[in-house]
Amino acid sequence: MSVQVAAAKMAEVELRDVGKEKPSAQPPHPIIAVTPAAGEKAAAAAEPTLAAPPLTVPNPESSPALLSSANPVKALQPPASAMKRSDPHNHHRHHREGEAMVSPDGTVTEAPRTVKKIQFADQKQEFNKRPTKIGRRSLSRSISQSSTDSYSSAASYTDSSDDETSPRDKQQKNSKGNSDFCVKNIKQAEFGRREIEIAEQEMPALMALRKRAQGEKPLAGAKIVGCTHITAQTAVLIETLGALGAQCRWAACNIYSTLNEVAAALAESGFPVFSWKGESEDDFWWCIDRCVNVEGWQPNMILDDGGDLTHWIYKKYPNMFKKIKGIVEESVTGVHRLYQLSKAGKLCVPAMNVNDSVTKQKFDNLYCCRESILDGLKRTTDMMFGGKQVVVCGYGEVGKGCCAALKAMGSIVYVTEIDPICALQACMDGFRLVKLNEVIRQVDIVITCTGNKNVVTREHLDRMKNGCIVCNMGHSNTEIDVASLRTPELTWERVRSQVDHVIWPDGKRVVLLAEGRLLNLSCSTVPTFVLSITATTQALALIELYNAPEGRYKQDVYLLPKKMDEYVASLHLPTFDAHLTELSDEQAKYLGLNKNGPFKPNYYRY
Amino acid sequence: MSVPDPASAAEVKEKEDAEKFSFMAPVTKAPKKQIQFAEDMQEFSRFPTKTGRRSLSRSISQSSTDSYGSAASYTDSSDDEVSPREKPQTNSKGLGDFCVKNIKQAEFGRREIEIAQQDMLALISLRKRAQGEKPLSGAKIVGCTHITAQTAVLIETLCALGAQCRWSACNIYSTQNEVAAALAEAGVAVFAWKGESEDDFWWCIDRCINMDAWQPNMILDDGGDLTHWVYKTYPNVFKKIRGIVEESVTGVHRLYQLSKASKLCVPAMNVNDSVTKQKFDNLYCCRESILDGLKRTTDVMFGGKQVVVCGYGEVGKGCCAALKALGTIVCVTEIDPICALQACMDGFRVMKLNEVIRQVDVLITCTGNKNVVTREHLDRMKNGCIVCNMGHSNTEIDVASLRTPELTWERVRSQVDHIIWPDGKRVVLLAEGRLLNLSCSTVPTFVLSITATTQALALIELFNAPDGRYKQDVYLLPKKMDEYVASLHLPSFDAHLTELTDDQAKYLGLNKNGPFKPNYYRY
Repeated sequence: MSVQVAAAKMAEVELRDVGKEKPSAQPPHPIIAVTPAAGEKAAAAAEPTLAAPPLTVPNPESSPALLSSANPVKALQPPASAMKRSDPHNHHRHHREGEAMVSPDGTVTEAPRTVKKIQFADQKQEFNKRPTKIGRRSLSRSISQSSTDSYSSAASYTDSSDDETSPRDKQQKNSKGNSDFCVKNIKQAEFGRREIEIAEQEMPALMALRKRAQGEKPLAGAKIVGCTHITAQTAVLIETLGALGAQCRWAACNIYSTLNEVAAALAESGFPVFSWKGESEDDFWWCIDRCVNVEGWQPNMILDDGGDLTHWIYKKYPNMFKKIKGIVEESVTGVHRLYQLSKAGKLCVPAMNVNDSVTKQKFDNLYCCRESILDGLKRTTDMMFGGKQVVVCGYGEVGKGCCAALKAMGSIVYVTEIDPICALQACMDGFRLVKLNEVIRQVDIVITCTGNKNVVTREHLDRMKNGCIVCNMGHSNTEIDVASLRTPELTWERVRSQVDHVIWPDGKRVVLLAEGRLLNLSCSTVPTFVLSITATTQALALIELYNAPEGRYKQDVYLLPKKMDEYVASLHLPTFDAHLTELSDEQAKYLGLNKNGPFKPNYYRY
Repeated sequence: MSVPDPASAAEVKEKEDAEKFSFMAPVTKAPKKQIQFAEDMQEFSRFPTKTGRRSLSRSISQSSTDSYGSAASYTDSSDDEVSPREKPQTNSKGLGDFCVKNIKQAEFGRREIEIAQQDMLALISLRKRAQGEKPLSGAKIVGCTHITAQTAVLIETLCALGAQCRWSACNIYSTQNEVAAALAEAGVAVFAWKGESEDDFWWCIDRCINMDAWQPNMILDDGGDLTHWVYKTYPNVFKKIRGIVEESVTGVHRLYQLSKASKLCVPAMNVNDSVTKQKFDNLYCCRESILDGLKRTTDVMFGGKQVVVCGYGEVGKGCCAALKALGTIVCVTEIDPICALQACMDGFRVMKLNEVIRQVDVLITCTGNKNVVTREHLDRMKNGCIVCNMGHSNTEIDVASLRTPELTWERVRSQVDHIIWPDGKRVVLLAEGRLLNLSCSTVPTFVLSITATTQALALIELFNAPDGRYKQDVYLLPKKMDEYVASLHLPSFDAHLTELTDDQAKYLGLNKNGPFKPNYYRY
């Protein structure tokens, strides 16, 4: 109910949930509503009518739209709904396109490119699949997604050998005779276990948390229902929660991102998991429902990624909230929905926004992008960075990361900015601050990370020099006006996966990466370390909410307490063999601090 | 009196000023300079409150007059001994509403001001942009800040924007006499000279406020003394006051206390914590002064040296970045896991101090804490290790523990002491553990320009705010103003800011002219 209302009246976006880049922060203008047919999200966000239907029935078109509200202001994209994620044939797709990203313009996908038709189709599905979660800069939500989608990480060993029977129709039983789960193929458990063990190696923080907290079982009695990507990393999280005393039931927050063998491994070790790769829309909600709707078991904690689970319970089992001690939500989208609920006075349990915790934010943006910009460019273009002239549009966290990395490689970096404070920071860091059209003729690479739209226009593209590389690190696919390149006089040539040459009549080529979608998700990987930060943050948020004394948290959306945030960081320090100094009693007194933190006031900028 | 002998004046001055921020230094001082000692004590007993934490531009602007680089006082040593209070004072236009050391120095002062103007383009462009509408016309500003060439540019800007100003000094030593003279000559009511007594200090402040037929309606304060004096002596004046602008940590702290006690009866603006000013006072300023301070004092070569930086806040981040760029091997100590993780991700080893203390060549403290470097650490350092403090007054290094009979102190040059252990080991202590960046380096006018511009905009904002926007509370500078400060400084870099198109602004839900970020944005 309320969700819809909330979605409809976006007007007051809680500032905090915006986190990242400059983009949205502000309440969108009502004007957005004027483009109803258009954007998946725009429409959803601003248009009451569109938002309404989803609530009653989780029908394919609308519910995605609903979800999308994360981004108050949205791209005007064509309706995403034409094909739904329920498309039954897309099972064996390998999606390389990290994010389930909208191709800029539905019609266009078919257009001028001749190579690789098949992949086209893929992209299209990709596009339709989850139009909703395309949020803004996609955080670890999308990141964790990408961990399964993109180049490197765990491939699904057995996908292609799947039979066509839906897992829902199969008899499911693990080796202990337990059958309270639903996965693609329980026999894959062993593969999955290996994946999980590998992930454990790289997630020492969670393992340390297991050890430290195992004695006291801080989650004993917790009944957690979760809805996240189901990957090896999540499995480590789930098993950690189990080790800390919680009972968990889990569903996937994305119909494609599940690693079947990991799900099988979890099921084998006794966790009720309901998820497989390539669920239909109907399967998706069925899985969630199976997690929640159990005889003799009621969840008392929710761990959500995207807000679908919360939404479902809200609609179907509102009474359940009486027992719920708290919601932990990690995606921008989900957080945004929570803030709206809270604004509307309809949030009836405490919720914790882990998306905006300091540690997580720094890793999702600054540190992650600092590495993936080089990686993404190298993998796709094999270019040499030294001496190249690069213009980076936007000097927020992402832009700062990109600039630092490129500078270190010896590139000559220019920055464009709209915010004078960030602009001054760029100056003081030794970057020339320019307007894009002042340098567009001479640069070898254009990187966008503004969160804005149409930062690189057709006019800019027309003026670029031959061989200029254009890519986007910022926000969905709006930053580069790719649609403007789909005109008859330009030839598109796909030279390899994620790399298109766009050829002007005079022979000039512009190299467009990932069709303007996020380079870091499409053409690079997300290190397990970053996912470990996210997972640890979630675990601590659950512990905090579950153990908080009555009254500490009201029916509102909270940020992770600074102390917990610091604890997440401290759990990751051993990876670096870092030795943290402890305050002496005398020093603590002098500073007026508790020896164990929190060490900084809330407004501290880090 | 307090005028030290001319020969060592500069050095002595540095010491005093740095010590102003510390309680303990005077007590533990080397026996040599007894006279100075006395001064220190005065200083100490007088402003115990200003010892704040990391001293920001308050101390910084001070240092601009105190330390190596900046404008020397041309004529100090030739001064007569008559107190300026006793002298008849008239400028060339026959005005006598001021009190400075020597009005004849005005020409020198004018030159200083003109030089400062060159580097303070932001204020000058503010003058140009706002001169037509005179946003401060009707403002009667009473100010109490350091009186330096940079402040003079600020004061004259305020006048150019339509304000009437009366000014006194917030520090008895920091006044540049010739600048004060130049201001007086130009018709600003200035009451300040270098080397005021405690009594003079309050007399000057009083002369600024206590006027027939002139009541201030704005206060610009640095340290809270002026506010305090008005509060105690002329509480009625507050009825007309539209706002207080305060820039020091100390003063802001006092305001927050007043506000807590519900005794604040006018709006106040804390400009100390504005984003732009903070970044420049800490990160950018320290990034440069750490290298400068070490070079000037020790001529050390940085490449390949092992350095440990205690603390990875803004100051620590600046120091580490600068040192890394010169090829030093940098270790960091931290207590806050988040900052520690940042250090790791920036490529610095995070260690405990006693794990690396034996091997480091340079030790830099920037924690804001006390006794971070103890005698025990000092005992274990290797020969020739350089120890200095970038953080907070002089508490970080336990210098007192080095004043023991078995250790020999040798002053090798200004601000540099060798402390010699019985076995011959030497440790090089800089500025006796006081702030290296203030004692042994300079503060660029550019940084002061940021501060002054912030103050000017805060005054304009408070003065022009519609009734009710600001209540009786302490406010941060609105983000839009903060951004405007930054934008006024961009031309110095020939930086070309991009403007949002209408379409983009709508997409982002922003006003084209800012503010561009939510308040919680961390930059």
